[in-house]
Amino acid sequence: MQKHDVLVIGGGLAGAHAARAAHLEGADVAIVSKLSPLRSHSVAAAGGINAALGEGDTWEGHAFDTIKGSDYLADQDSVEILTREAPNTIVQMDHLGTPFSRDEQGKLFNRPFGGMRQARAYFAGDRTGLALMQTAWEQLVKEGVTLYEEWAATSLIVENGRFAGLVAYKIADGTLEEFHGKAAVICTGPGGQMYLKSTNAVTCTGDGLAMAFRAGCALKDMEFVQFHPTSLHGPNILITEAARGEGGIMRNAKGERFMEKYSPTMLDLAPRDIVSRSIQTEANEGRAYPGGYVDLDLTHLGRDRIKERLPEVYQFSTEFAGVDPGEKPIPIEPAQHYIMGGIATNNAGATNVPGIYAAGECACVSLHGANRLGGNALLECIVFGRIAGTAAAAFAKKGTQIAGGAQVLEQEDRRVEWLLKTGGPETVEGLRQELKRLMWDKVGIYRNEADMTLAVNGVRELRRRYANLRVGARGKKFNFSLLEAMELRNLIDLSEPIASGALARQESRGAHARTDFPTRDDAGWLKHTLAWWRGDRIELTYEPVRITQWQPQERKY
Amino acid sequence: MATIKVYRYDPEEGTEAHYDAWDLDVKPGQTVLDLLHEIHYYRDPTLAFRRSCRSAICGSCAMNINGRTGLSCNTQAKPLLDRDGSLVVEPMKNMPVLKDLVADMDGFWQAVYHIEPYLKPGAQPPKGPYVVPKARMDLLKIAQDCIMCGSCLSECTSREANPAYLGPAALAKAYRFVADARDADTVARLQMYSEPNGIWDCDTCLYCNEVCPIGVKPMDAIMYMREKSIEAGIPSQGAKHALAFYETVIESGKLNEFKTANKSLGLAGMASQGGIVAKVLLRGKTPDVRKRPIKGIEEVRKLEQLVERKRRKGASK
Repeated sequence: MQKHDVLVIGGGLAGAHAARAAHLEGADVAIVSKLSPLRSHSVAAAGGINAALGEGDTWEGHAFDTIKGSDYLADQDSVEILTREAPNTIVQMDHLGTPFSRDEQGKLFNRPFGGMRQARAYFAGDRTGLALMQTAWEQLVKEGVTLYEEWAATSLIVENGRFAGLVAYKIADGTLEEFHGKAAVICTGPGGQMYLKSTNAVTCTGDGLAMAFRAGCALKDMEFVQFHPTSLHGPNILITEAARGEGGIMRNAKGERFMEKYSPTMLDLAPRDIVSRSIQTEANEGRAYPGGYVDLDLTHLGRDRIKERLPEVYQFSTEFAGVDPGEKPIPIEPAQHYIMGGIATNNAGATNVPGIYAAGECACVSLHGANRLGGNALLECIVFGRIAGTAAAAFAKKGTQIAGGAQVLEQEDRRVEWLLKTGGPETVEGLRQELKRLMWDKVGIYRNEADMTLAVNGVRELRRRYANLRVGARGKKFNFSLLEAMELRNLIDLSEPIASGALARQESRGAHARTDFPTRDDAGWLKHTLAWWRGDRIELTYEPVRITQWQPQERKY
Repeated sequence: MATIKVYRYDPEEGTEAHYDAWDLDVKPGQTVLDLLHEIHYYRDPTLAFRRSCRSAICGSCAMNINGRTGLSCNTQAKPLLDRDGSLVVEPMKNMPVLKDLVADMDGFWQAVYHIEPYLKPGAQPPKGPYVVPKARMDLLKIAQDCIMCGSCLSECTSREANPAYLGPAALAKAYRFVADARDADTVARLQMYSEPNGIWDCDTCLYCNEVCPIGVKPMDAIMYMREKSIEAGIPSQGAKHALAFYETVIESGKLNEFKTANKSLGLAGMASQGGIVAKVLLRGKTPDVRKRPIKGIEEVRKLEQLVERKRRKGASK
């Protein structure tokens, strides 16, 4: 058994900042992470981090763009915290060593991003997430924060409604161990692997979300799933929005700049939900290339500028598509990219279970509402990682260690035993592929009641079939098949709140676009969905959106 | 159909390491990772390998592919098969194997921790961001994108000869702080990195630069730090050796092995190298200790003056 004041689950950008903040508060902190921290998906964030740091820019401007981008579903007091903290966050990261790109005189560069009326995305080439993650990791090394890497947390221990610890599985040798702690910060990032087309890493299976959900935490607004417009056709590798920020133009198979039709003012830099729908509409109406992709043209920038400002785009395009973007357009298509919803938290990162905090993509404060703007996710990880870490340390300081957990360890032990010997007809990959296909086809970019009903029932059926699973590997050491079986369970458990929440919400808002309810309905649906795990079923409740100074208006770009 | 041979080792089975082979239909556009996934998901779920992002940014999936280390996720399979006629996938070198393609990276990380991989800023940072001109910040470019995949260490010939050598990734990380205008600890860093197993232990084979999947240039970074530590007058055997090399060439137009060894190691140090000396003598490779200047030594000295002038000009800038 291990024991620490604060347990941070996940070592990505939010987890690293949460751990650092709790450590600086004097708490004994440990990070429990399925991956080595620098392998976290934060490193894949490419284009930038937003802040009203430029001349004449204001936090209110940043906040308004974020709220309008969210289709008015974001909680405005939370967005205020995010955008007020943003400028100082950039400065702090620069002081800690992030190599932000600069101009000849030495001032930080910024560039325009989708849905922002002003250029306010700061960046380090087009590997901004990598640069910020390196800085965060460097600080963990400096501070000597305890790290349990390649330990996959499998279950939270909640006793009498309060956090008591967690159980984690050591990938290297199959050990299950109990970790006691006074508070936890869940920072396990994305969980988009239930979608057939996704820019998410293979390991982004929503483990923390599912764990928290099963432990009694509410999940908020899970039906809002972002589809990024520009993933590489085929492997669905992310081509950063910065490609359009630097001047990239999309064209359909007829050579038309189709965004002129859908967003006359912001064109290619309209928010992601709008651009993805536009591409999908072009494909549905037969104006995309066979296979459903369109062109992203950077040729007018020239190879040198692409290599200077977008080196990763250059690399991805040549290595994965065999296309030199200096010479030919890049074939792109929408793919699942981000989940706006997550573990419901307040402005301090606290969930409804005392002692459990969450931050980053797995959390929902809510900052992004129905659609997130590019450049706000990295910012959220740092600002709210820090806030949640500080709050968790304060909670741990005055709290006591809750006893218990032995039965959770036993239950997890039995689950692993079962996975190691179960010999049913269903394979992990077989079920996973069915789930991915189901969610992509039925709860994708455009949605309707009939499809989503099929999805809800389909997900439940997959959960039943999970009981007939067969895991092909029986070893203890680096048994990735066993790990994938645990991840699959998490993906299935998360798919239901996505599909149920989407089916229940009878309107179109942000990334949730219904062909049978094509308009936004503020009278009926200007509210957050909360999903609760009730063992054999999911319960949905609703809570109001916190509106401060920006009254909902029609969202046009 | 193509045959993929994969290195297998399972510590739980207690059997020797061996290779398994699968016949797969390899389509254009498929990466080596795609093939490994196909084996793992549909043929042999026990096959173990790390992977995550599939887009060459997380650094999880470095392995040895047809004799050269790289990421499996951005290595196209078909061109390799067309070129070499076969595909052989093995774990990284210079690291113990834990299972199949999973390497123990502990030694890799220990070296990175050793170089104190975090910014040490001066006493008082500015109110806003540091003002660092682009040209200065661009110095970091040859190292800042390192994804810590381990490919360079796997191919490092100096590490192979000396397991205590810090290796290219750790030293590229070290460089990243040496070259950073915001770091206030440059000289102390260079002193630390000049210690044995640091920058002077690189044998300049260039493999690190060559195999890096993301274009980092660890060897360039190491050479930069060598120059800077000589400029800073940091004493080290490596610096002495380089200077002795230089001096004897200027003196006679060619290398004087005896003098070079004497200057960089000292007489006692040379005595400790007795074994090598004996071997050299046995093979008849005795260097000529007298070494008269070569014909045209004036040309060499002119070159020296030219280099000196250029260097001074650079330093005064």
